[in-house]
Amino acid sequence: MTAVAQECPVHQGRDDRKSAKIAEANLAPQHGARPVGSFGLSRDLLRSSKVRQAGPAGSPTDDAEIKNPGEVSFFFLDGEEHRKRRAAVAGLFAPKTIVTRHQAVMTSTMDDIVAKLRARGSAPLDELSWHMAVVVAADIIGLTDSDSTENLANRVKAVLDSSLSKSRGPLGKVVFMIQMLTRVGRFWKQDMVPAIAARQLEPKDDVISYMVKENYSKKGMIMEALSYGGAGMMTTREFIVMCAWHLFEKPALRERFLGGEEADQFAILEEILRLEPVASLLHRRAAEDIETKDGAMVKKGEVVAVSIRDANTDEAITGPCPFELDPDRAKRMKVVGPYMSFSDGPHRCPGAQVALHETRIFLDRLFRLPGIRMEREPEILWSPQIQGYELRGCVVACDPA
Amino acid sequence: MVAITFIAADGAERTIDASEDLSLMENAVGNGIEAIEAVCSGNAYCGTCRVYIDPAWRGVLGEAGEIELPMIEAAGDETPGVRLSCQITVTPELDGLVVRTPVSQS
Repeated sequence: MTAVAQECPVHQGRDDRKSAKIAEANLAPQHGARPVGSFGLSRDLLRSSKVRQAGPAGSPTDDAEIKNPGEVSFFFLDGEEHRKRRAAVAGLFAPKTIVTRHQAVMTSTMDDIVAKLRARGSAPLDELSWHMAVVVAADIIGLTDSDSTENLANRVKAVLDSSLSKSRGPLGKVVFMIQMLTRVGRFWKQDMVPAIAARQLEPKDDVISYMVKENYSKKGMIMEALSYGGAGMMTTREFIVMCAWHLFEKPALRERFLGGEEADQFAILEEILRLEPVASLLHRRAAEDIETKDGAMVKKGEVVAVSIRDANTDEAITGPCPFELDPDRAKRMKVVGPYMSFSDGPHRCPGAQVALHETRIFLDRLFRLPGIRMEREPEILWSPQIQGYELRGCVVACDPA
Repeated sequence: MVAITFIAADGAERTIDASEDLSLMENAVGNGIEAIEAVCSGNAYCGTCRVYIDPAWRGVLGEAGEIELPMIEAAGDETPGVRLSCQITVTPELDGLVVRTPVSQS
């Protein structure tokens, strides 16, 4: 499912991607799913009202499993129920809200991160990016009444970093389920319950306040909060580290980033994300026969596996040299910068702009620190859970305060 | 082709030859109308492709629907005739359409 650059007239078809090899070796579309890699077809299918989410067998995205939509995160719903629930929280992710509310959270969080890094002299970069991602997502969700941010982050990580897809024997699965129930229970008691109690007394503008108002069940609240957590925290942690890695390695790009206006900084980040999308595959099932704009046919019941990586490097939309990091590409091609990296259609990532803003603020501050340097490169790992990369072990250092 | 005129907040006018079956937003971006940001690329999830429909055309295009309203409200934009241009499909009936664009989309 890898796109091939047909004609790349400059730089001998340079390939700036860091995550392509591990993705190619590990990407696992669902058995029997039809691969889709062209940008146009991907967009048509993802935007079609005739497709439904199609997760792995047994996931809550199977229609048969969604007997009670109130207990399923809206991330996994479709149609009117999905639209209604997404619309109810749309304002939390609007550009105006980011500017008037979230940017202040991002900036103050970065103050804390910088203070921590300067006091220690060096730190694992994914630990710092995780801190930022957790605080920002927690504020949007409403997880702001925990005993401490660090403990909240650890409890969320304990739940989200576990993977049901890891192979285990029958006994191992039982042990794992008990561990998971314990971890989720801890998250409920120590993070969700105090947040809910606070919002029952005084509603705020966040997801938990909405769920309290709409009388969500305990299971429904946990599912929704963890889905936001997974989407907003885990992926942003990786995105920040990936962008930092590229900027550490490319002095000219780093100089342009630090000297550029916000729009240019976003163009750089979006172009990195085009080449290094954190999630790589999206599965959809046709609820009825579909004929796309290009005349492609998808039969009712057929599952398609949309490759974000292939769509993002489709020369029909990127122009030549699709594997080169070229921040001017999107403007030249008159397209929106992240291409398909945040998905498309009704399930496009609601927090896309939030992620871009927090990454911009994080990196703008990090690279202005005196003596900032990368002491150790990250190791690229693969997460079967999100079908995407994880970057661990990167250590950054700066001059002490 | 369908002639559509964009009037910027400073009064500058530009008429484009819009392609049918694409959205008004896609036509604007493709023709370099910088006041249309469309950061979600046409999914009605960002509210940064807002336009104000000229009064003479509001009857033709109608009001913003339930897909558009949450993001228009989130943008705090109460200007009469406001719509998300990503939700308007260009058809031959829109030949001569005039829209205005805001000072800022965010």
